[in-house]
Amino acid sequence: MSRAMNLLRPLVLLAALSLAACGGGAETKVNPIINQAPVPNYTGPAAATADIQAFKINLWENLKESNRCGGCHNATGQSPRFARNDDVNLAYQDALALVNLTQPDMSRLVAKVSGGHNCWLSANSACGDTMTVWIRNWAGAVATGGKTIQLVAPPDRSVGSSKTFPADSVLYSSTIHPLVRQFCARCHASNAGTPVSPYFADANVDAAYAAARSKINLDNTSLSRLEVRLRDEFHNCWGDCATSAATMLQRIDAFANGVPLTQVDPSLVVSKALTLYEGTVAAGGNRYESNVIALWEFKTGMGTTAFDTSGQEPAINLTFSGDVSWVGGWGMKVGAGGKAQGTSSSSKKLADRIKATGEYSIEAWVAPANVVQEDAWIVSYSGGPTARNTTLGQRAYQYQMQTRSSKTDANGAPITLTRDTDRDAQASLQHVVLSYDPVNGQRLYVNGVATGDVDRAGGGNLSDWDDSFALVLGNETSGTRPWTGVLKMVAVHSRALTAAQVRQNFDAGVGERYFMLFNVTQLTNVPQSYIMFEASQYDSYSYMFAKPTFISLDPAARPGSLPLKGMRIGVNGAEVRVGQAYVPMDVMVNDSNYASSTGQPLGGIGTVIALEKGPANDQFFLTFERIAANTHTVTEPPLAPPAAPVDLPPQSQVGLRQFEEISASMAAMTTVPTTQSEVKTTYELVKQALPQNESVEGFLSAQQVGIAQLAIEYCNALVENSTLRSAYFPGVDFSGSASALFGTAGARDQVFNPLLDRMLGVSVGTQPDRVAVRGELDSLAGKLSSCGGSCAADRSKTIAKASCGAVLGSAVTLLQ
Amino acid sequence: MSTEQGGINQVAKMSSSIGKLTCAALALGLLAIGVAQAGSREQAKRMHDRIAGVPPTAAVLDQMAAEIAAGRPLAAANIAMQSSAFYNVTLKNFVAPWTNREQSVFVPLNDYTATVIGMVRDDEPFDTVLSADILYTAPGASGVAAYSPANNDHFDQLEQTGADLKTVLVKQTQSGLNGIPAAATAGVMTSRAAAEAFFIAGTNRAMFRFTLMNHLCRDMEQMLDTSRPPDRIRQDVSRSPGGDSRIFLNNCIGCHSGMDPLAQSFAYYQYDETLARLVYTAGQMQPKYFNNSDNFKPGYVTPDDHWDNYWRKGPNQVVGWDIQLPGTGNGAKTMGQELARSDAFAACQVEKVFKTVCFRAPADATDRARVQVIKNDFKAGGYKIKQVFAETAAYCMGD
Repeated sequence: MSRAMNLLRPLVLLAALSLAACGGGAETKVNPIINQAPVPNYTGPAAATADIQAFKINLWENLKESNRCGGCHNATGQSPRFARNDDVNLAYQDALALVNLTQPDMSRLVAKVSGGHNCWLSANSACGDTMTVWIRNWAGAVATGGKTIQLVAPPDRSVGSSKTFPADSVLYSSTIHPLVRQFCARCHASNAGTPVSPYFADANVDAAYAAARSKINLDNTSLSRLEVRLRDEFHNCWGDCATSAATMLQRIDAFANGVPLTQVDPSLVVSKALTLYEGTVAAGGNRYESNVIALWEFKTGMGTTAFDTSGQEPAINLTFSGDVSWVGGWGMKVGAGGKAQGTSSSSKKLADRIKATGEYSIEAWVAPANVVQEDAWIVSYSGGPTARNTTLGQRAYQYQMQTRSSKTDANGAPITLTRDTDRDAQASLQHVVLSYDPVNGQRLYVNGVATGDVDRAGGGNLSDWDDSFALVLGNETSGTRPWTGVLKMVAVHSRALTAAQVRQNFDAGVGERYFMLFNVTQLTNVPQSYIMFEASQYDSYSYMFAKPTFISLDPAARPGSLPLKGMRIGVNGAEVRVGQAYVPMDVMVNDSNYASSTGQPLGGIGTVIALEKGPANDQFFLTFERIAANTHTVTEPPLAPPAAPVDLPPQSQVGLRQFEEISASMAAMTTVPTTQSEVKTTYELVKQALPQNESVEGFLSAQQVGIAQLAIEYCNALVENSTLRSAYFPGVDFSGSASALFGTAGARDQVFNPLLDRMLGVSVGTQPDRVAVRGELDSLAGKLSSCGGSCAADRSKTIAKASCGAVLGSAVTLLQ
Repeated sequence: MSTEQGGINQVAKMSSSIGKLTCAALALGLLAIGVAQAGSREQAKRMHDRIAGVPPTAAVLDQMAAEIAAGRPLAAANIAMQSSAFYNVTLKNFVAPWTNREQSVFVPLNDYTATVIGMVRDDEPFDTVLSADILYTAPGASGVAAYSPANNDHFDQLEQTGADLKTVLVKQTQSGLNGIPAAATAGVMTSRAAAEAFFIAGTNRAMFRFTLMNHLCRDMEQMLDTSRPPDRIRQDVSRSPGGDSRIFLNNCIGCHSGMDPLAQSFAYYQYDETLARLVYTAGQMQPKYFNNSDNFKPGYVTPDDHWDNYWRKGPNQVVGWDIQLPGTGNGAKTMGQELARSDAFAACQVEKVFKTVCFRAPADATDRARVQVIKNDFKAGGYKIKQVFAETAAYCMGD
C-alpha cells in the first residue's frame, strides 16, 4: 500500500503542477501536453435546448478533449468549466460568458487562445481563428451577417515627426545586415538549407533590406521584432539572449540614428493621425460557409505552416516547401517550384466528406503572377501528374478543371478549360470557384460570375475518389506542375455552391479591413467628426484606401455646410507622392446629404498607397487644401530644367530611295507608267524586298536584286512598247542588227544619250560621272553584241534593255 | 551554247555590270557629296529628290536651279511640290505608318492617308487634323468604287489605278458621308482606317497612344508621371499585377493617371467588326470601358465622355499645352484640339518632315535651332505642312 502511495505521489504532484499551470490566467508559452488520456464519451444529460445542442455540436465537442480546454476547464478543474464533460447544460452556462455570438471574433475564448493561452497549434492566431469558426458555427448564419459595426474612436494623436526608411540599403548593409548575416542566415536567407521567410539575412542586401523593414521600428527601436524575438521570445539566440538582444538593439539604434526625422510641414492643414490597426475592424462580409470542410486564410504570416482553420477535424495544415512566402494582409506567395502540401491522412477528410455528398466546391482568391504559365496547378487534390481527384489549374489566360468522376479517367480527363477568348484568368486578384455537382459536373465562377463553360465529361459520381491523395497548393504533389502567384484564401466546401452563394462570397471580399477614423474635429468644429476610410493592407507592398466618408460619432451632430477640397493622404509625417486619388475632390458636406448613422460618402474611388514601415507602424494622416475655414495652398514643385540635348554622331547627308520612290523614279526616267501590268506585277512581287528607309547603312545586297529585277521590267516595257520606245529613242530602228546599232560609238549615242540624259540629268555634279558610266555601257554593249555573227533577231532590243537596266538599276536611281 | 545558257550568261553579265555601276555610282555619289560644294543645280536636284521622291525633269531642274540661284529656295521647293509624286509617293508613305498598329508602310491607301494628303495639298490648317469634320475622297475618279464608310475599296482602287491624288481628291465632311454627327467628328481619329486600327476591341486606349506617338512624337514611357492623381484610372487596371503593387505604383500609374482621363473622350466610339465601320453611340457608354471591372472594384467607373488633361500640371507641362484652351471637355473633338494645339504637336510635325527630307534627326545645335524656327513659322503661318516641307528642304538642300 505504502509502495503504491509512493508511486502515486509524483503523479499527483505532476497533476497539481499541471493544474497550476492552467490557473490564474497567467499566459504560458509552452504548448499543452498532448498525451493525456482521452475524454470518455458523453453520458450526461441531453442538451436542454436547441441552442445548447448547437453549442454542444459546434463548440463543446471541439473543446472537451483533454489536449484542448478539457484538460483544465473540466468538471473538477479550473473555473470557468465550459469544457466539462458531465453536463453539457452546465458547460453551456459557463461558456455563455466567454463568447460573443454577435461578433464571434471578439469572444473571450478567442482572445485567450490568440494570446497564447494553451494554444494547441504552433501559431496562436490559428487557434484564435479556429475558435472563432467554432463559435460562429454555434451562433449560426444569423450571427455572421447583418450586424452593425460599432465605430470606435481611435487614440487622439497628433501627426508627429517620424522617420521613414531610406530608399536604398546602404545604411542597412553597414549596420544590421552584417549581424544577421552572421547569426540568422542559416534560416532567414533564400539560399539557406531550410529557408524561412522573411529573408532579412539574405546575401542580396537589397532583398534583405526589403524584408527587414517591417521588422524594424524606427521610432521606438526596442519594439523592433528583430530584437523582441531575441529578448522576449528567446528565438535562436547566439548565446545569452539578453546579450544577443542588446547587440541587436545596438545595431538597430545605429541604423535608426542614421535616419533623419521627417518634419511635418507646419503649413499643412492636417487631421489627427492613426495606424491601420488603430482602426475599427470591419467585420468580414457575410460569407456562406455552411459546408466548409477546409479553409486556409494564410493569416499566420510567419513560419512554414498554413493552418486549416475551418474547424473541421482533422485540420489539413499545409507545409511550405520551396519558394513559398507570406504576403502582407493575409496571403501566401508561391514562387517558382514552391508548394504548400498537407498530409494524405489529414487530406482524407476531403475524400470522405465529398464522396458522401457527391459534390464539392473549391473556392480561392488568387492572383496569378502572369498569364503565360501553363500546366500550372493552383489547388490540387492528387497523387502525381497522372492521378487525381480534382485540380484547379491555370493555362495562360484560361482556367483548367480536372475532376475525377465516373465519367472520366483516373486523371480527370477529359479536362475542361475556360474559353481562350474570354481570357478569364488575369494577373490580378480574382475570386475563383470550381463547383461540381452530379448533374452539371464542373462549373467555374470568376469574380462571382459563371464563365458558362460546359464540363466536357458531364456530371458523374465521385465514389472512386482516392483517399490516399494529398491536398497541395501551387503545384502537383510531385512538384512538376508549378504555378506562381498569390493565394489570399482557399476553401473547400462539401457542396456545390449555388451562383448566389458564390456571388455572396465574392461580395464579402477577402483580407482584413479596417475603418480608419481620421479626426478632423479641430478643423471642422463639428463634434467628434472624422473622415473615415475603409482601409486594408492590399499586398506586401501597399495599402488600399477606399470609400472616404465624413462622419461624426456624435449622433446629434450635424455638419452644417462644410466645404472639403484637395484631400491627400500622409504617411509618417509626409504626404505620399504616388496614389493621391483625392486631390481632385471638391465637395460640400451638408445636412441634406448627411445621415448620422452612415455619414456622408465622399466618392466611391479607392486608391493604393505604398507601404513604408508596415501596418503596425505606418502612421497615417490626411491633409486638405480646404476643410471648413482652413485652407492651404498647394504649389507644385518647380519643373526640372530639361536635360541638355545630346548631339548625335555625324550622319550621312545622302540616303536611299524607298521602295515606292524607286518605282516612281524608274517610271519618271523611263516614261513607263507604274500601272503598266508587268511592271506592276513585278513591283508587287519585290516591293517588300526594296529599301524601306533612307539609311545608307541599311542597304542590303538582296535589295539590289529587287532593284535590278524592277529596272529590267521597266526597261523591257519601254523597249517593247513601240510608242514609248520611239518617243524615247527617236529615229532608232531596233529591228536592225546589233552590230549595226551598237557597232560604233556614234551609233550607240542614239541609244545611250537619251538614257543618260534622262537618268543622269544634265550638268548635275553630284550625279555619277557621265563618261565613266558611258564607258561601262560601251563595254557592256560590246560584249553583248559579240555573237560571232549569229545574233538573234531581237538582240538589239536586248542590248537596249540591258543598257537601260544597267543605268536604271544603279545608284543613279537608288541614291538621293 | 544553248539558248538557255546564253540567257543565263546575259543576265549574269547584266547583273555584273549593274553591280559595278552601283558600286561606282555609290562611291562617286558619296565622294561628290563629301568634297564638292553643291551648286544650284545639285541643290535643286536634291531638293526635288527629297520632296517628290523622284528625279526632276530637265525643265523642272532648270526652273528650280534658277530660283535657288536667285536666292529663292522656297520657291524652288514649291515647284518640287507640284509634282504628283509628292502626293502619291512622299506624302502617302509619310502618313501610311500612322494608320496601323504595326506602323507598317505597306498598307493600302485609306481615308486617313487621303485626308492628310488632301489637307496638305489645300493648305488646310494642320492643327485641325485631330478635330475637323473633314474627309477627302475622289468622287470623280473613274473606274473606282464609290466611297463607303463600311469598306476601303474606294481608296484601295484609287491606289491600284495610279490615280493622281494631287488632282482627284476632293474635300468633304465625315458627317455628310458617314452619318456621324458633326460634333462627334475628330479629324483623322474618326477616320475609318484609324477606327479599324485603334478602336477595334480593346479599351480605346490604343487610339490615344498611337495618336500621341504619331502626332506628338511621344510614346507613353515619355509621358510617365507618377505624381498625378490616379482617381480616373479605370477598374480594369490591376493595382497589384501578379500580386505586386510596386509595379502599379512605379509604372502603370505613371501613364494611366494621365491617359485614362484623356482617353475617356473616346467613350462613345467603337469599330464594329460586323459592320466593318466606325460606330458612334451618343450618350451611350461603350461596354469596353467596363472590361475586367473586377480587377479593382474601387477603380473609376466611366460615366460619360468627359475628359480632363491632368498633364497640364507636373512634368508634362513641357508638352506646351495651349493656355487658350480649357484643358477639359467632352468628346474626341475637343480632346483632339487639346493635343493638336500643343507645342509638341507642331514640333512633332516638323521633326517628322525633317526626318523625311533630311534623312536624319536634328543632330546638333544648328539643326535644333532651325527646327525651332521652322516650328514657329509653322504655327504662325497657319499650320501649313507644305511650308514645313519647303523650309526644311531649303535647309537640307546642301551647301
